[in-house]
Formats: sequence, structure tokens, C-alpha cells
Amino acid sequence: MNLFDFLLVPSNWTESDGILDLLVQHLFYTALSVLLAAVIAIPLGILIGHTGRGSFLVIGTSNAARAIPSLGLLVLVVLLLGTGVFPIILVLAVLAIPPILTATAAGVQGADPEAVHAARALGMTGGQIVRQVEWPLALPLVISGLRSATLQVVATATVAAFAAGGGLGRLLISGQRTNNYSEMFAGAVLVALLAIVLDIVLGGIGWLAGRRARPKSKMTIEPVPVHT
Amino acid sequence: MTPRRLIASAALAVATLALAACGASSDPLADQSAAPSASAGGAPVIVGSANFTESQVLAELYAQAMKAKGVDASAKLNIGSREVYIKALQDNSISVIPEYTGNLLLYFDKNASATTAAEVEQALPAAIGNLKLGKASKAADQDVYVVTKQYSEQNGITSLEDLKKVSANAILGGPSELKDRAYGPPGLKSIYGATFKQFKPYDSPAVKVKDLNDNKIQVAEFFTTESAIVDNGYVQLADPQSMILPQNVIPLMRPDVAGNTAATGAIDSVQAALTTEELTALNKKVDVDRQDPDQVATEWLTSKGLV
Repeated sequence: MNLFDFLLVPSNWTESDGILDLLVQHLFYTALSVLLAAVIAIPLGILIGHTGRGSFLVIGTSNAARAIPSLGLLVLVVLLLGTGVFPIILVLAVLAIPPILTATAAGVQGADPEAVHAARALGMTGGQIVRQVEWPLALPLVISGLRSATLQVVATATVAAFAAGGGLGRLLISGQRTNNYSEMFAGAVLVALLAIVLDIVLGGIGWLAGRRARPKSKMTIEPVPVHT
Repeated sequence: MTPRRLIASAALAVATLALAACGASSDPLADQSAAPSASAGGAPVIVGSANFTESQVLAELYAQAMKAKGVDASAKLNIGSREVYIKALQDNSISVIPEYTGNLLLYFDKNASATTAAEVEQALPAAIGNLKLGKASKAADQDVYVVTKQYSEQNGITSLEDLKKVSANAILGGPSELKDRAYGPPGLKSIYGATFKQFKPYDSPAVKVKDLNDNKIQVAEFFTTESAIVDNGYVQLADPQSMILPQNVIPLMRPDVAGNTAATGAIDSVQAALTTEELTALNKKVDVDRQDPDQVATEWLTSKGLV
């Protein structure tokens, strides 16, 4: 049996619940859960980074949440709330929050202190400092947080299939059930490719943001990329 | 490290790994605890089981019933899938195994055309070669389509023939492999004229039960011995056209056991007393109440007066 058999049959792509449908579902879950995680984690990260308070508690808690097995959590949430899009997004967002939160807090906290002091000396309010100084300086790091969150979510979104939610995990599970290795292979390869493509796209965005954050000045200190 | 010592340590590492692997793989067939001497009941009989609860309970039932009749019987549980235990039966590692009529027939004859219980039982003896069969039980563990009681009453659905009334607006749920099975959506369409709006694959029975109760799916596929059917009061849909292959419990054995009347008599009495409902209850005691298969078997045999 050729490993590429499944991928090479056009009807496998286009039929209902075919590869294209599953790919769209997978992207949908990934995008929505990273978005939800960002909406929660970025403001919280800015608050922690700006005030310097609560970092131990909040980041500690969210990092501890990384230890929760996504599959177990998903089954638990589904049995409590029923199936649907929401439980899947919720579970994946739990996974995506820690890297974004940690990166945002570190980025804001690590914003060049001289720039922050200068802004304060100019009479900027706290809000202005956050918006005009700390946030732009932190942005490359925030994007690297988003990047690693996306990578984790895109790989873990395969659990959606377990809750009857589709996604590329469907190919892995169905293939395994019927000893169809070329179908499993298709699922694995597509998840890997999707992860690489998304990483490159977000990497590109991060690079652009990094250029914007330190346009001409030679004085600014390069933000240290933190890999979470 | 000199090349010689490198090779020596590599060899040592390999040997250690190999040893560890030996220890880890607990091959149920390797450990043939000293065969006891033949007793009044004839040669020792080893009952094997497949790697799931129901098969283990059935194996315990056979073994304990035979022991009560003076046969030197023991159980060897959890051997593996059909491919593995049929081989064990053929090479005399085990002598009896609980089986299911339809799947057993398909294992030996992929093109079998039998559909009803009687046809399957008729076709079996010729298909299985030199192995022998006991009497088939009423108890069956086969695929079944169910709907909730409410849905059944609202739409007047009690049989697969009724599904065509609702299928255009209904979603069917079942294990993912059902999708292409002859008794899955293709069979429902060609035999019963029911084409569902959608087929939703489930890999966790708990999630499937949840969705059926939440009316996110309207028709679901289960096994007849799953306790969820009774616990939730689902209505099992009749299959008048015999689309689903019958899977009655049947003991498959070596010829020497088939000639041992004490052994076959004991197994037959278990087969005669067993029903699908009771098998379901036995499964539940092991899977849900976490009891040991051998205790569950002893209790049941005692209640039936078979030990």
C-alpha cells in the first residue's frame, strides 16, 4: 500500500467531510481558540507586565494549566456541556493562554526602562505609556507568544474529532479504526504542514512588527525572544 | 572508549533491551503453568478469551461451569484479537474460546452470503475446518440501531423500515468505521431506503450517548450488550430484512474437547441459560462496577444453579 494513496484520490478531498472540509474545520478551531486565548491573555499580560504585580500567581496558575491533558479535559467538558464548537474552543484556548500570557507579560515588563522613564518624564499617563511605549516594544514578543500558542493548538486540535467535531484528527482516528494507514498518514502530514505554514506566516508578521518597533534608532535594546 | 569496548557496551545495551522487552511482553500463551494430570473429566481444557470484557466473562463462565462438572478446566484471559486467538486454538495453546457466529463466519469465509441466524449457523461448520462448535446461545452481541424513547413515540419508529420517514432530516451517529460498512449507511439506503442528512462519527460511546440524549443526533448505532441502551431506555430498531449479521455467542473448540461430553455438557448448559440482557448485566458489573470477571462469573453460575 502506498502511503500517499489517500491523498492522491481527488474525491477524498472534495466529498462532504472530505479533507477540505476537515482542513477548514481545523483552521476554524485553531483561529477561534487562539483568538479567544489572545483576548484573555494579552490584556492580562499587559496588566501584569505594567504593574509588575501578580505575575507569580497568574503566570504560575496558567503554566500549571498546561499540565492538563487536553483530551481528558475535552471529554469532561463535552459530558458537562454537550458537544459543539464551544467545548472544543474552550479546551484549546486553555492550552493557548499560557504562552501568550507569559510572552506578553515578559514583553511589557522587559520594555526598555529608559524609554519608559523618558515617557514618564515627558508627563505621559500610565495608559499612554502602555499604548505608546510598552506595547509597541513588547509586540514582537507577543507575536512570538501567539506563534507558539498557534503551533500547540494546531497540533492539539486533532482531539476535536474525539468529540465528534471533525478536524484533521478525523483522518487519524478513522484511519486507525479501519487499518487504513494512508488515511492516517494523510492526517499526520496535513497537520504537520499546516503547523509549518502557520508558523512561517506568524514568523513573517513578527518580523515586520519587530522592524516597526525599532525603526531607525540605534539606541533601543533588542527585545530578547523568549521561547515558551 | 576503544572500538572494542564500544562494541561490547553496545552489545550489552542491546541485550539489556531485549531482556527488558521479554519481561514487559506478558505473553499469555508463554506461561503454561504445569499441565495438571488428566482427571475424571478427561484431558485438561484451557478456555481462552479475546481482549475485551465480554469475552473474558464468557471464558470464565465456561471454565467454571466445566470445573463444577469435574473437568480439569482453567481460563487464560485476554489473549488478543481474533487473528491471534484462532492461531492459539489451532496450535493447541488453548482448547476453547467464546466466539460470535457472524464475525466468526466472515473470518473464515470473507464472501459468506448467509444473513439470518439460521443461515449463519448452517454455514459455519463447513467454514471452520477441523475446529468444532458448541451450541449457539440466544445471547447476541451485535450491532443495533437505537433511537430515544421520545423520538420513537413522536415519529412512530420501531423498525429500520420506519427510518425512511425521518432520515432526510435526521443525523445518524456511530463508530467511524460504520460509515462504509455494509450494514451502515450504504445498507440503510439500499435495503431500507433511508438516506440520512448526515453521518457523524463517534469514537467515545459516552459522547455518543450524550449527543443522542441532547437530540444532536437522532439515530445511533450501538452493540446490543452495551448497558447504555437499557440505562437510557433507548428503543432498539427491528431489522426485518436481516441487514445486520447475527452475532450469537457460540463456543469454538478443538475436536478433543468436542468429544468430551462432560465439557460440552457444561458449556451447553451455560449457553442455554444465557440471554442478551444477562450478558449486558454481566458486562456492566465488570466495566461499570469494577468487579473481577471471575467473581462475576461465579455469582451468575451460582444463581443459575450451574456450579
